[in-house]
Order: sequence, then C-alpha cells, then structure tokens
Amino acid sequence: MKWYSKMSRRIGNSLRRLHLDPSLLVVFVLLVIVLIAGFALSDRFGTVRNLMNVLEQSAALGFVSLGQSLVVLVGGIDLSVGAVVTASAVLMAAVVDSNPELMIPIIIVVLAFGTLIGYLNGYLTLKTGVHPLIVTIGTASVLNGLVLLYTLQPTGGVPFWFEEFAYGRIGPLPIAGVIMLICFAAVWYLLKYTTLGRSIYAVGGDEEAARLTGINSKRTSLFAYSACGFFVALAGAYYVSRTGVGDPRLGEPITLASITPVIVGGLLLGGGKGNVLGTLLGVFLISLLNNLLNYMNISTFIQWVVQGLIILFAVSIYASKVKKL
Amino acid sequence: MKMKILTIAAVASLLSGIVMADYTGLPRTFLWNPGFNELVETSEYQKEGPYTIGFSNASQADLWLVTFFHGVQWAADKYRGQLARFLVTDANSDPTKQVSDIQDLLNQDIDLLLVNPATADALDPILRRTMRQGVPVVTVARRVESDESFVSFVTASDTALARMSATWLAETLNGQGRIVLLPGLAGASPAEFRLQAAKEVFAQFPGIEIVDTQYTSWSPANGKQIMSAIIQREGAETIDGVWADSGLQGSGSVEAFINAGVSSDSIPPHTGGDLNRMYKLAHEHGFPFCGIDYTPSIGIASVGLALNVLNGAAVPKRLDVNFQVVISEGHETESIKADELLADYVALDRPDDFIMGHGMGATYDPKTFSVDLPN
Repeated sequence: MKWYSKMSRRIGNSLRRLHLDPSLLVVFVLLVIVLIAGFALSDRFGTVRNLMNVLEQSAALGFVSLGQSLVVLVGGIDLSVGAVVTASAVLMAAVVDSNPELMIPIIIVVLAFGTLIGYLNGYLTLKTGVHPLIVTIGTASVLNGLVLLYTLQPTGGVPFWFEEFAYGRIGPLPIAGVIMLICFAAVWYLLKYTTLGRSIYAVGGDEEAARLTGINSKRTSLFAYSACGFFVALAGAYYVSRTGVGDPRLGEPITLASITPVIVGGLLLGGGKGNVLGTLLGVFLISLLNNLLNYMNISTFIQWVVQGLIILFAVSIYASKVKKL
Repeated sequence: MKMKILTIAAVASLLSGIVMADYTGLPRTFLWNPGFNELVETSEYQKEGPYTIGFSNASQADLWLVTFFHGVQWAADKYRGQLARFLVTDANSDPTKQVSDIQDLLNQDIDLLLVNPATADALDPILRRTMRQGVPVVTVARRVESDESFVSFVTASDTALARMSATWLAETLNGQGRIVLLPGLAGASPAEFRLQAAKEVFAQFPGIEIVDTQYTSWSPANGKQIMSAIIQREGAETIDGVWADSGLQGSGSVEAFINAGVSSDSIPPHTGGDLNRMYKLAHEHGFPFCGIDYTPSIGIASVGLALNVLNGAAVPKRLDVNFQVVISEGHETESIKADELLADYVALDRPDDFIMGHGMGATYDPKTFSVDLPN
C-alpha cells in the first residue's frame, strides 16, 4: 500500500490547496481510474454525447443520494427512499393521467408529499427514540403496501412535454442533470456557509453537545429528513418523466443504491462528517462505471461485483483513515 | 390484402419453423385471429451488412429468462456471418436501468435495437425516441404501449396459452368443481394477461368455483408454500383442480399435494408447462395434466426477424411463435386436443430444472451453454 499512501498524500495536499475536503480523495481517485479506463477501452466513452448521457442518467441517483446524505449527516439513515420514489411516481402518473391540466399543480403536490413523508420519518424517529433504520423500514412497508393495493401494474401517464424533464437538453446539457447539479450546489452552499448547515454537522457529530450549545437539534434533524423527502420525490417525478408511467415497483433498487455514493463519497455513516461533493462524485463514479461496463459488454452480475468491491475498498480506506481525517 | 396475408403467413411460417418440433403448422393465433395482421414495410431500415445489433435484456431472474437469453445468444451465433457486433445489456428487472442501457446501446451506433422490456409500459418513451432517431426496434416477450414505438413484436400468445389451459381444466372437471389459480408475478404483464384470460374462460362455467388466487412469482418454492397453506386451510380433498400459468409454480403445487400425503391417483388435475420437473411429476404420478410452454424460443425467432428488418424484408407487426399443447394420456377434452402426449414430450433424461421449448436442439445444456459473440 506504499504507492497508495504516497499518491493519496499528494492528492490530499492538492485538494487542501484547492480548499477541498481530503475525504474526497478516495472517490476522486476511483473516478479518475474509471475515466482513464473508459478512455482507454472505448473510443465512444469519452465523447460529449456519452458524458452528457451519463449526466442525464445519474439524475435520479443524484437526487436520492443527496437526500440520503443530509439524513446521514445528522446521524440517521432513510430506508424508505425507494418507497417514497414509488409512491410519488404512482401518485403523479395516476392523477395526471385523467387530468393533464393538473401537471404543474401535481408537481408541487408530489414534492410536498415527499417532504411530508420525510418530516414524518424524522418526527417518528425523534418521538419514539427508535433507530431510524427501523422507523424508515416501517414507513417503506406502509407506503409499498398502499401503492400495491392501488395498483399492481404500471399505471397512469403524463403529457409528452413532461418527458423533456428527463430527456430534454439545453444545448448539449441535459435538463435533469443540470437541475441535479444545481441541487447539489445549493445543499453544498447551505452546509458550508449557513448556520443551519453547521448545525447539521454539529447534530450529526454529537447531538447532546449540539443541544448544550443552543442548537435546536430536533428542528435540525426534522429539516434534514424533510429535505431528503423533497429530493426523493423529485427523483420520483424524474422517473415518471423518463418512463411515462407510475410503476409500483420502480423504487425497489434505489434504496440501497442511494447509500453507495454516500459511503464511497466519504460521508461517515454515524453522521457529522463528510461533504456532499463526495456524494456527487460517488454518483458520477457509479453512473460512469455502469456506463463503461455496458460499453465493455460485461454482464450485470459482474457490474454488481465491481460495485460491491468499490464499496468494500472505499470503506476499508476510510476505516483506516478515520483518525487522520 | 390477400398478398399481404400470404406474405405474413410465409414470414410467420419461416420463423416458427426454426423452432418447432411437432405442431409445425402456422401459429394458431394467426389462423384463428378474426382480424387482420398488419404487415410492416421495412425498406427504410434496409442496410448493407454486417450489422451492429443491440440487445437490451430485461432480466435473468428465473430459469425461463435464462433459457430465453441463451436462445437469443444462440441465434446471434447462428447468424454471426451477418453481424459485425452483437451488444448485450441486462437491466436486472429494473426498467429505469433498462432506459439507461438503451441509451448506452444507441451511443454505440447500433443498426437495430432488440429489446425484451422489463415492463410493458415504462419503455414506451425511450423506444419512441429510438424509432424517431431512425433506429428500428424489435420487441420480444413484452410489447410496449404505442405502435409507433416498435417495428415488430415477437411473442407466444399469453392469452391463447391461458385460454387453452383454462378450458382444458374446466372441461376436465365437466364444468363443476373448486379450483385454485396460481398466476406468476403480480403486476408482470404476461402473468396479468394470462390470469385475465383464464378468468374469462372460468366465467363461462358457472359450476367452477375459484377457491383462491395467489401470485407465486413463478417460483417452485412459492408455489409449494402457497399451496401447502391452502391445503391446510381447505383440505386437499376439497380442491378439484389447480390452474397454474407455468410449471415453475405448478410443480411446487404438485409437491405440496404429495407432501400432504395425497396419493398419486388423488392429485387433482393441474396445468402449467415450461419446467421439465412439472412434466416429470405428471408423468410419474399420472394425474390429469395439460402443459403449454410459453416457449423461450421466441428469442431465437426475434433475432431472425431483426435481421429481416435490416435486410428490408416486410415483417408482421406481431409475430406469434407456435407452442405445443401437451396432455397426459387419455385426458384430451372436447375443445383441447394434444399436439403431443405427455409420455412422448417429457424429457426424462434431462434435469428437473430444464426449460422445455427452448428450440436450441437436443444438445442444449443450460449449465454448459456458452457463445463468444462479436462485440
């Protein structure tokens, strides 16, 4: 590991000079490796067309992982994100199908719905003192059950113009990808430059200490969970735009997928430490990796193995560096 | 119009002939269709070979899907002289991943997209956009919502399969009895279409009482567990028949009766094809049985049809591949006759998990199957 330590020190120093968090190091290196491999293995991988496609494809994972990051930063975890994505998508497609003129209002309703579910998750966690893992699994079960009671098959539809959210471009830039980047920038700014952002880190680091310093830890946690619900509902809207229907099984894979960029991006699962830019790089890493493995005509099962190995690699590196960071 | 129908018949016959063994006529759904099939002119997609075809697969989550996937690869290998590249992606049952997979394939300048959609509806927008880009789309196993999203759809009819097996069961019971319905995966369009078609049939027989309907996810273990619970609740002797849309869960149901101590001659009539285990159980225990495979060889037919599109040949908008009706000896009914008797069809020398109707010849073995496709 000598070569790695040497390289990581150099890149860490470079990042510090750029005023960036050294915890981004691992994901940054992995991303560079994937990019180099991609350029070497396929002449189509590095095209603007492909990279913009990847940016477009990464939007849903980006929205959900951003929400997950906020919850993780306050020391929680949200395993209901997949169910909220599904419920939001089905709600939107089912309502709009028979009333296309409700498209704009339903976007607001769905975002409010996601925010409310997030708030409920936070409220129940704080009120009962039960670990958020249990609470959010419960929420997921209720939502999934209600959705499947309503429909077993993909349902509803949206006007064609709403597909532009998922597939539309501003010049070469995908609209969904740009919105995702704006969301990340806004949250990064909030965390770095506002009192609320500093409170989020403080509550995640040591809730009792934060409370003693006058931070309203409950309100801070509720904000994180609610914001998570908002971003997750946005992902649900994106999926409806991308598939044209509300699929009752849509969100199943996204729950665990949303945790991967968080871990790889260097956020501490216990809370209080990490940077959403790491999550963003994690999202790009996973999306580029899937894209590259598709280009290499490699089995999905090998894609799972590679993703798992990256998580294990990242976690082992972070575990050995926790004290140094 | 007459010329068009003859052309469709010729195309259908050519493609179905690739994969059939016993019933070698035109697909019954073609013969009995009271309407007309549309013929699609494909000269606008005609290109000089060799071709680059992208195959976006939905999943390999069960034995049927694995065999289907092998069939597509087998056919690509068979036609490798016409192929420059055959690119494959697998969405692991996730329609949103499949949308991304298709975008990745389009980015590699494919000449045609062959797709087994993970769901019937969710792929519509991306396939419509693919067609608008001038890349022809051939769907297989599941079609998508709008006609403008694909050139042709290759299938074996879910509704015909279900109507025939349900009719066989109802007639075997002389229109009287308590039955259990075991459909496949809740929400999956093949399972829902088959269930709906079967219910249409049973509604024609007022003496048939549906005791319970339970989704099984096409899993033998689920079939066994669910039927065991029903037997415990209702009593095995009160169940007169079991309609399963596949032997994947049907075999589990038979095992539940055996585990409950029901003697071979008291196991109620069952339906369900695909899985060799089901055929073996029916052969060994001798209960009345009707098996109709949703033949995975539709994958083979789809590759042939895809090449026809790129060669500029007219193709049917919907191509139904033949299936075999397999019935145990002495159990044909007034409406449903056997294409092949159970004793002749069951593959006693092949493993239990072997999927029938694969169309890849006698030497096919899913455990050792491997092809090296150009990519």
